Amino acid sequence: MNMKKIIFTTLSVIILFSLSCKENLPLDKDLTKKNYSLINQDSTEVIFPENIVGCITVLGFIYTNCPDICPMTTHNMYLTEKKLKEDGIGNVKFVAISFDPDRDSPEVLTKFAEIRDLDFSSWTLLTGSKNTINDLMKRFDVKAIKTDENIDEDGKPEYSMMHTDRISLIDANGILRKNYKGSTLNIEELITDIKTLED
Amino acid sequence: MFQLLLIIFVLFPGENKIEIKDAWLRPSSQNMATALYFTIENKGTTADTLFKVDSDIAGKVEIHETYSQGDMMGMRKVDFIVVDGKSSFDFKPGSYHIMVMKLKKDINEGDEEKFVLHFKQAGEISITAVAKNPK
Repeated sequence: MNMKKIIFTTLSVIILFSLSCKENLPLDKDLTKKNYSLINQDSTEVIFPENIVGCITVLGFIYTNCPDICPMTTHNMYLTEKKLKEDGIGNVKFVAISFDPDRDSPEVLTKFAEIRDLDFSSWTLLTGSKNTINDLMKRFDVKAIKTDENIDEDGKPEYSMMHTDRISLIDANGILRKNYKGSTLNIEELITDIKTLED
Repeated sequence: MFQLLLIIFVLFPGENKIEIKDAWLRPSSQNMATALYFTIENKGTTADTLFKVDSDIAGKVEIHETYSQGDMMGMRKVDFIVVDGKSSFDFKPGSYHIMVMKLKKDINEGDEEKFVLHFKQAGEISITAVAKNPK
């Protein structure tokens, strides 16, 4: 094989590999252009995404009063982490952002995580001011609308939320690479994508 | 008369036509909500209707349905569920579920909790659901 053929073949392989990656990870949105001041489960300020850059991050949007969809999303993230650890990959971060900051205080987020056995060395649960959360949701094109609003017998607001069912994959440079349906996540697909980012 | 009653009893024994199978709920914490799931099997030939669920562990229990609209998911209250004769109905994740609200205590994995299901025909059926996360 002459040198021209070798160069042509090598370039073809590189281009095909890049196209294949692009197809599997279709998004290329730089999240680092804007930071958001949020609060984690320990009431400590987290600058998002600045503080997560450097690690691949699996991000979910939830509210803790949700009985069905959000626990499914959270559990799918938990199972993803478990499977990654079995495969020897332990450097992926898991972040859950609440779109119900009125009710999801750091204490509530801590309890939500503890009862689900989430490991705080790899998990961060975030809340924040209503304005900041709304702004952040727009950045991710995530929507959440209160439904069935009531005042309960204790005078507290009672409502459900209709919301985007979303898990996102963010690479170590803070680039949003792919969105998934959170509650019906194909865990194997996400793991394959994480491994592609790791390579 | 006694013989007639005996014949009726032999021909139509008082077996439970409604059976509840695989009852489970998700772990959750005090004051929060969780979902109860199970399968109703109606072995009778006529329909029956689930219209209420009670539990001492919750301040409020409702029958709910999860629905999707585009890429958004929501929940809405359902007044009752009709289970036709010789059929079954699944309460399952992402679909119909019993919304258990204002929990009076933490529900940890492995806990067993009691619920009472109210049917129009079968009356009250007590069940025990185990708290677990799907593997």
